[in-house]
Amino acid sequence: MIDRADRGKLMFLGSIAVSLVLVGSYLAAGGSDYAPAKTQDPCEPREWRDPQGLQEIAQQFSLSALDGAACELGVTRETLARALASDEARRQFAEKYDIGDAELATAIRAGLLRAVGDAEEAGALSPLLGVPLRSALRSIPLDEAIELINDAEGLLDNVQSFLGPAEGLLEQFLP
Amino acid sequence: MSDAARPRTTALALAVGLVLADSSIVVLALPEIYRELDTSVTAVTWVLVSFNLVIALAAVPAAHLARRFGPGRCAAFGLAIFAGASLACGLSSELSTLIAARCVQALGGAAAVTAVLELLPATVGGERRATAIWAAAGATGAALGPALGGVLTELISWQSIFLLQVPVAIVAAAPILAVARHEAATGIISTELRRTGRPHLLANLALALVSAAIAAALFLLVLLLIEGWRLSPITAAIVVSVMPLAALAGRRLGGSVPSSRTRAAAGAVLVAGGLGGLALLPKAAIALTIPPQILVGLGLALVLSALTETALHGRAPQAIHGGWTIASRHAGVVIGLLALTPIFTHDIAQQRTDAIDAGTAVVLDSTVSPLLKIQLAQRIDERLGEEKDKVPTIGPVFEPLPDDDDDREAVIDLREDLQDQLDRGATHAFSPSFGLGALMALLALIPIGLARGREVEL
Repeated sequence: MIDRADRGKLMFLGSIAVSLVLVGSYLAAGGSDYAPAKTQDPCEPREWRDPQGLQEIAQQFSLSALDGAACELGVTRETLARALASDEARRQFAEKYDIGDAELATAIRAGLLRAVGDAEEAGALSPLLGVPLRSALRSIPLDEAIELINDAEGLLDNVQSFLGPAEGLLEQFLP
Repeated sequence: MSDAARPRTTALALAVGLVLADSSIVVLALPEIYRELDTSVTAVTWVLVSFNLVIALAAVPAAHLARRFGPGRCAAFGLAIFAGASLACGLSSELSTLIAARCVQALGGAAAVTAVLELLPATVGGERRATAIWAAAGATGAALGPALGGVLTELISWQSIFLLQVPVAIVAAAPILAVARHEAATGIISTELRRTGRPHLLANLALALVSAAIAAALFLLVLLLIEGWRLSPITAAIVVSVMPLAALAGRRLGGSVPSSRTRAAAGAVLVAGGLGGLALLPKAAIALTIPPQILVGLGLALVLSALTETALHGRAPQAIHGGWTIASRHAGVVIGLLALTPIFTHDIAQQRTDAIDAGTAVVLDSTVSPLLKIQLAQRIDERLGEEKDKVPTIGPVFEPLPDDDDDREAVIDLREDLQDQLDRGATHAFSPSFGLGALMALLALIPIGLARGREVEL
């Protein structure tokens, strides 16, 4: 038979034990790590995933360009991607971060140039294509630059046009 | 207790439960009030804070009035004010009028609750039994409040929470009117006019800390379920009803331990453990909230009753010291809400941004076609604009699903990944506040421990 004082001790120690078991089991199940995934710093280099074909290269190119532009602007790649999705989103972004069109254009151009460099480094773009691409991108207007980020496949097609009418020329410079 | 005394005891307990339920009954209705009255999270919190603040400030003065003018008259008058103010709350169409009516409701409630403590000993035949019934009615009311409020909000409206309190207050007031009439006719005030002793500082301090922690548990859990995990009020009400059920079980548990200090300490540890569990939820799953809620429910039943008994034991007049316990409990709730609201509103804004960024990263790195990515990014952005300051419902962004089989599969995966990031963000946003609540409950162990040698052996 447990006396009254012991019942009190048992209750107190039991409450500590039960609390520790609960907290310990939730911790062990990953309770302290259950948070949104951290996004990568856009200024850090992002490794290209062995792209195959024009569409995949274009996708990686867009992501690199976003990283580069976001790094210039000091925002995340994801914030910039949402901002470039529509004119209204871009207006709100510009207002929130106090970024003018000229600054945005400069950042996106820098991003596109970084994407060319990343593509060359990944072996996805021949340096022969890189030279004219850089030249074309340095003076590209803002709206076209945004369009190119959203549709890099179009950019690569544009380069093809830029290089001349020779059919299949682009493919020769792609791995 | 005689058969004749039973209805009056029930009515008195009902009055206490009704008033103290009001400190938490609107918790589940807050998101609805927030949306309907188009206000901010911080502003809507005042629907809860104002009531608790006024009752904390008015409890002791109300107890003095009860002793001066008679507890019967004071309780009846208090319940009448409470009923009238409840009606005004239910008819409010603006936040300012709702908050003003809540303040008046708290004034009436403070008068009724403290006066009832003076009436109960004569009805139940003993101070100790009266204290136990009064404390249990208050704890049960406070614990049941959120679930009742949630069900009413879902089934009828948030206004119905207040409108339905009017007839309940009238029913509770009916037997008290007989006492009030007797007092008026005879001029006899049924309380003994004993000298007022000093309030039990340590027990009241511990009550304030534990109440702050319990407010955190109730308020934050409800917000997590409705605003974070997007549950309906009725589902959230069912989920949080675990806490009052555990509290009812906790009353039986406490009966086997005579030392009030031990019961209070065990209760505070359980509340802290439960809040610690809520701070460390490993997944956004309702089932995982059940064990922490059981701990908080058991803990609140043990600690609130034990500390109230300690604060009232051997002290007279009961109404004044009961007033101090009410003041301490509600001051604790106010401190808890005011301390935690800015923390979690800041955290939820930050976590919302992080979750949206993480979700956008999932979209950008996915294998869906670039055109679809742009469309999704546009729709996510529109959704964020529509649901400003809230954790957005992301499902509609992905509707309609693409016709292409590969894209459809990829989009379904994306939807799940994005929802997972939002769930993570919403859950994580509440962690620091739950953790702070746990700390408050642990801090209550200091005054409980210092009260050594003054405990009540029942």
